[in-house]
Amino acid sequence: MSFYSKMRGILLPRHFEFCFLHPRRPVVKMKTLMMSVTMLVLLLTVNGLLIAGPSHGQDLSKIKITLDLKNVSLKTALHKIESATKLAFSYKSGDVAAYRHINYSVTETAVDKVLDDLLINTGLRYELLNTNIIIKKRIDPELSSDQVAAIPDGGIKGRILDAEGGPLPGASIQVLGTQTGAIADGQGGFSISGLNAGDYKVQVTAIGFTTAIRDVTVKDGETADLTIQLTPDNTSLTEVTVTALGIKKEKRSLGYSAQEVTGEALSSSKQVNVVNALQGQAAGLQINAGGGAPGQGAKIILRGINSLDGARDFQPLFVIDGVPIDNTTDVTDGSSLNGMGNRASDINPDDIESINILKGGAATALYGLRASTGAIIITTKSGKSGKLRADYTSTYSVDNINKYPETQSRFTQGWYGEYDPNSFWPVTGPTIEDAKAIDPTHPDKIFNNFKHGYKTGNSFRNTLTLSGGTEKAILNAAFSQFNQDGIMPFTDYKNYSAKVGGDLKFSDKFRMGMSVNYIKSGGRRGNADRYNENLTYFSPRWDIWDYIKPDGTQNTIVGSGNENPIYILYGKKYVDDVDRIISNANFTYSPVTWLDISYRFGVDLYNDNRKQTTPGKLGLVDEIYPTSDFGFGGVRTYSINNRIMNSTLVLNFKNDIGEHLSSSFKIGHDLFESRRHTVYTQGDTLVEPTFYNLNNVKRTTAVTTQRDYRIIGLFGDWTLGWDNYLYLTITGRNDWTSTLSKANRSFFYPSASLSWVFSENIGLPAWWSYGKARFSVAKIGKDAPVYATSEGFKPQLPLTNGAIPFILANTKGDANLRPEFTTSYEGGLELKFLQNRLGLDFTYYNNTSKDLIVPVSVPVASGYESIYLNAGSIRNKGVEISVSGTPVQTKDFSWDLRVNYTANRNKVLSIYPDLTEMTMATHYGYLSSTVTQKNIPGQPVGALYGRTYKRYFDGDTEDPAVLDKSRPIVIGSNGFPVLNPASKQQYIANSQPKWIGSLSSTLRYKDLSLYFLLDAQQGLYRYNQFANFLASFLMQKGAENRNDMVVFDGVLEDGTKNTKEVWLGQGTGPDGVNYGNGYYRNYYRGDSETFIENASWIRLRTLSLGYRLPASLMKRSGFLQGANISVTGNNLWLSTKYSTFDPESSSFSSGSVVDGFSGFTYPATRSIIFSLNLNF
Amino acid sequence: MKRILNIAVIGVLVISFSSCEKYLDDKLENPNLVKVPPINPLLATATYETSMNQYRLGYNVSYLAQYLASSSQGSDGDIYNEVDYSTTWRNFYSTMMNISEMNKLAEQNSAFHHLGVGKVLMAYNLNMLITAFGDVPFSEAFRGLDELTPVFDEQTTLHARSLELLEEGIASLSRTDALAEIDVPSDVVHGGKVAAWLKTAYALKARFLNQLSKTAAYNEENILTALESAYEKNEDDAALIAFDGLSPWNEVAVDNENLNLDGWLSTNIVNAMNGTTYGVFDPRLPLVASLTKFGDYRGTRNGAGRIGTGTDNEESYLPTNGYFSKGGAPLPLVTFAEMKFIEAEAAFRDGDKETAYNAYLAGIAANMNKIGVDEDDKNTYINNAAVSVGKDNITLALIFKEKYVAMMLNPESWVDMRRFDYLYKDFQLPLNAALSGFIRRLAYPSVEISRNGPNVPAITGLDQRLFWDQ
Repeated sequence: MSFYSKMRGILLPRHFEFCFLHPRRPVVKMKTLMMSVTMLVLLLTVNGLLIAGPSHGQDLSKIKITLDLKNVSLKTALHKIESATKLAFSYKSGDVAAYRHINYSVTETAVDKVLDDLLINTGLRYELLNTNIIIKKRIDPELSSDQVAAIPDGGIKGRILDAEGGPLPGASIQVLGTQTGAIADGQGGFSISGLNAGDYKVQVTAIGFTTAIRDVTVKDGETADLTIQLTPDNTSLTEVTVTALGIKKEKRSLGYSAQEVTGEALSSSKQVNVVNALQGQAAGLQINAGGGAPGQGAKIILRGINSLDGARDFQPLFVIDGVPIDNTTDVTDGSSLNGMGNRASDINPDDIESINILKGGAATALYGLRASTGAIIITTKSGKSGKLRADYTSTYSVDNINKYPETQSRFTQGWYGEYDPNSFWPVTGPTIEDAKAIDPTHPDKIFNNFKHGYKTGNSFRNTLTLSGGTEKAILNAAFSQFNQDGIMPFTDYKNYSAKVGGDLKFSDKFRMGMSVNYIKSGGRRGNADRYNENLTYFSPRWDIWDYIKPDGTQNTIVGSGNENPIYILYGKKYVDDVDRIISNANFTYSPVTWLDISYRFGVDLYNDNRKQTTPGKLGLVDEIYPTSDFGFGGVRTYSINNRIMNSTLVLNFKNDIGEHLSSSFKIGHDLFESRRHTVYTQGDTLVEPTFYNLNNVKRTTAVTTQRDYRIIGLFGDWTLGWDNYLYLTITGRNDWTSTLSKANRSFFYPSASLSWVFSENIGLPAWWSYGKARFSVAKIGKDAPVYATSEGFKPQLPLTNGAIPFILANTKGDANLRPEFTTSYEGGLELKFLQNRLGLDFTYYNNTSKDLIVPVSVPVASGYESIYLNAGSIRNKGVEISVSGTPVQTKDFSWDLRVNYTANRNKVLSIYPDLTEMTMATHYGYLSSTVTQKNIPGQPVGALYGRTYKRYFDGDTEDPAVLDKSRPIVIGSNGFPVLNPASKQQYIANSQPKWIGSLSSTLRYKDLSLYFLLDAQQGLYRYNQFANFLASFLMQKGAENRNDMVVFDGVLEDGTKNTKEVWLGQGTGPDGVNYGNGYYRNYYRGDSETFIENASWIRLRTLSLGYRLPASLMKRSGFLQGANISVTGNNLWLSTKYSTFDPESSSFSSGSVVDGFSGFTYPATRSIIFSLNLNF
Repeated sequence: MKRILNIAVIGVLVISFSSCEKYLDDKLENPNLVKVPPINPLLATATYETSMNQYRLGYNVSYLAQYLASSSQGSDGDIYNEVDYSTTWRNFYSTMMNISEMNKLAEQNSAFHHLGVGKVLMAYNLNMLITAFGDVPFSEAFRGLDELTPVFDEQTTLHARSLELLEEGIASLSRTDALAEIDVPSDVVHGGKVAAWLKTAYALKARFLNQLSKTAAYNEENILTALESAYEKNEDDAALIAFDGLSPWNEVAVDNENLNLDGWLSTNIVNAMNGTTYGVFDPRLPLVASLTKFGDYRGTRNGAGRIGTGTDNEESYLPTNGYFSKGGAPLPLVTFAEMKFIEAEAAFRDGDKETAYNAYLAGIAANMNKIGVDEDDKNTYINNAAVSVGKDNITLALIFKEKYVAMMLNPESWVDMRRFDYLYKDFQLPLNAALSGFIRRLAYPSVEISRNGPNVPAITGLDQRLFWDQ
């Protein structure tokens, strides 16, 4: 330690020191790890001379093979031919050893031709001798001794172009049979000199494109011209994908499932929030929109909930261009019902190139604890060299409410069936006809306020991206503007974004890049929960849109005590305003071929300034002032100052060990620092009623909070590849976190994954194009939330006499918290058939999380509301299946299909030993029908509990904790169902979907394309508080039967069938019996099971028709490169049994794991979107 | 190459050994909380929150005691449907936890007067809780991690415990070796006066003992002895004198004035005071209730809801200038008048009608003085034959009737009503009541059922009687 102390503090600014902690533990582990790997390497390298097997005489021109060789040796190439053809080769290893790094690709080509290609200019030849093909050194008569010294002066130069005719920098050009080649420069240009005259085959390879081979004739002293346009490779055999820490890996080498969503797929739905845009795009992904509010957040659950803490942010880590960004949904200022956005929604979806979804432990291992719930890796559009290119997209949408509850339309305002136009009770009066007889001013129809209260919204987005530059310097820029008006009155959202980035190449050894993105976002948010609640109270006999009097005061139903819902929205103004900068700088230094040193520094900085204002009482005659919503007029400000800094250093050692084995070893250091300061100022009681200034209030109070969080990580990743078909990756990471005590803050976790591309070394039938099996096992650690180890007292607002009470924080910290760990096993298969026209990806996973840190909601008699504890374990297991296919592909017409299917099973394995259950969240229901989402061992996380009707068990024993719906309901002697006591809480249903699926398809005919996405979540239940409130006021359609006499289906206490006829209405029924407040208020609304509704849905998420303007037209314009127009519909069709709004919306903010409640939400929208895209 | 490697290794090492432990240590503790608080701000919490609990419980049970009635027809709180009192329950336990923390700190620092106040307040909270809910967690409560699921103790035991706590509080308050002084503004009930707290301790003792009138443990002598050390005059009363905004009943009245309808007086209390029930007009009524547009005082029947629009002053409300509900109105907790009625009841049960009668009259007078009734009006009322019945005609009914008026909005009234079996003249069930008789207890709140379910005792209904009400 003395050495450490000596070195302390000599470096860098104090506030952001580079820190490698004492690496004692990981070193020990890494040592063991390295030893095992070395053993493996030794085993694998033991390989002898290839012995040729017997074969019959062959006509080589009749044997056709398909080969795809990437950077392999000649020996491997021959081996591949052997395994594909059952031919046998004989040669001396020494003869062929010199020829490596062969890139070669052919389809159904005769072997003799292939051998010619491979051996051209090698000085080797082949001959068929008996049953074997012998490869020998050629005695070349042309190479006479006097010619050897002559310097060849022929050459080739040209350009490599992409499918659109743009330059393709970085493409690799190889003259087959020679050691000569080149790499295309920034303009796609290349030149090769020093060739002898003769016929050559030039092979061009580039990542993401199919390999092209061209014949070129070179003459002495001349340079042949060659322009090659490559076609994109959709076969995915060579797909490179972005993995953790931005490391690009060949997809075939991954031992875990990784799904990539292209920018094209993302933009097809024209969603505002990038999270929403991911809906239905990948397996293993459950996305729920919070609701249809402008800029509203959405949440992602990857492979099920692995947290027991309803409040903890369980969202996957969002990484943009290598920089982890903040994705908080901050509702600490009491805005949880205001439809706040998750911070990732600041990102413009039109600027995204692709998104990679890292789901399992092995995939996210390098990111460490912050990615314990997965990671969403976003790559934004980057620049390309060449002339300036511009891309402009303009989108306009028209939005409407997509689903609203049907309300009863027979009865009007009053109580006990008696008409009262001033009644608090919206629809418990007489029928409309009866009311009209009393009150001629009564309208013929009453409103459905859940439709009437929403208007048509719209949005308008413009995005312009620019890129261009030279080989040495590439610049790119993106600008966007977005304005949206919501469907709920007085809600809107704006987002302006400007991004500038560049890449500089100083030399082949040193490159750097940086980018700065400024975003301004926010808008006026409305409390949809309160609005819908107010809509429930407000009698639909009156028109809510008549909400304001000429003097500015509220116009509401006099005497009802209810507020006009729209007036509340009008007066209560809540606006958020975010200024954000996301920036990163990076460099890569490759001092030697086997080492890359890359470093990336990212910062995400934002200020979120929110202000809520409510007018004071104007003091006018007859003013009905909504005190409970407006207070006495006030100004509240909440400002968040958030800073995230991230520094990552990676050393990548890559080399080949022996002939077959490639190795890439990465070691890195990661530092994360987050600082969040907030100030919440509350000014109450305005002096001048509409002057919203903190100096204009009678009392001002302020609360400041500060949250700091730091993590240091050290990690290693070793990928070994054997002949491009077997890959082993081993990772290890140690984290040191600021949120755990010194004793527990350091923890290590490893992962191992194996990928076997078996189609490369097992003879598969011709129709089977590709096969890969993968397996991984990983452990991921996670720390505690910030300050979960500490406890203490905090000052309250001062009392009127100046005293300042201190109270004990009601969430208790625990200094002994340990990190939680998730162990995951994953296995999968990737298969492709029929020249890759049909693909299947299957994954099974099993994740167990232990020692979960939860602020356990404890009995308040313990003295606390909640206590942080290592309190339980959860298991998630499931399957993910993706099938993709291209049933039709002709020149003019193509049809692509993709199906994603996910089924996750979640189970609470244990909770804190002293407890029998842990409450996650509760949602109020009338007459004790409050529903609680609880964690109970043996049941899923989403278990919903509530009050039920008593069931008849006929002598059998009832499990008191679980509702058995198959049993008959017990009917009391009064003829009504018997409610169980409120204290008997029973398990009713599960909020987790049984399965999630999507079907997407693109049909293209010439320049027309049609895309649709069907999306489904099935087998999930939600508590519908909205329906409970409707029932309490008899407002639902079903309550139109209130004047009926019915016999309830069920049995009496003794088991005999109920036959008693009862009236459903209020007061004295036709049978002379007094039924009091009536069935709906006395029984129906008190039964939670009625309101835990099936929230399954299937929807046509997206239907889009696009047209690409013909190239001839473009040419004529002189400046346009391409133009697309499209019209898209979102949520055009929805099928669900849910009785109120679209059940996809949630009553809890996108920052919460709680998903069992969907009540008075901001309703989802159905949108028609027009879009224009121009390329210059 | 070797050089580069060396540079890299050295670089890594140099970077590694900077002040990393500190880099993380700094951020472990929550900078938004204070570990060891000063004791007086805790006393402010203890006194303020206990008083507010009295208001919170009082607000809820005032509908059951029919001081208040909902402006809505068939409101659950009016008609004996189960209402979820989770918030109130949380407030009580949070307050008691804070008191318990203050008591610990007080013991460590020999702040015996703080400790004494803490014990008295703990007894007060506990007593309010058991008289509403019966069995509640206490002996295993406030232990945090050491006991997450506290058992519910027998209410009989807890009642005895509340009395014990008072004794412990009295002992501690009487000590002369306290090392800390009570900060005057932080004591929002007695402004730091230890002698006043001692009287309050005895006053509560008298109240608690009096609660046992239906049980064998009832002992008139003990009550009368406790009363000797309790209040002697109105000025001794315990009341909340500082607020975090509006005074609580004022807030109710202001809400109502802003048409967030609240604080509507029940027919029962209004009729008891406007002459309807007892034939004599109570001069306190104009000081606590608003005049209707008809120029008189009218209540709203519980369960019936309003008659008209609710905004036309067709019924009486808690007014913004009323005794209980004016701006800055102190919240009465335990009063001299209550002591007089306890004395009257104890003496009456003891057979000492003269003492009972005198205490009864003194109780009325004290309350009228407190509320600010005009001397003449006071005398007129007291001298009315229906009030001044003479010592031989004094009855429990009269004592309870007058106490009911004097204890308006105080949750202790609901205890009295149950002890007296609601035998007030013309006291009616709420309209469309969910029970066939009067309500006897509250249901356990959902917060306890959902978190401590197995320990929550089963109840047979809201007409189930608590131990002292059998």
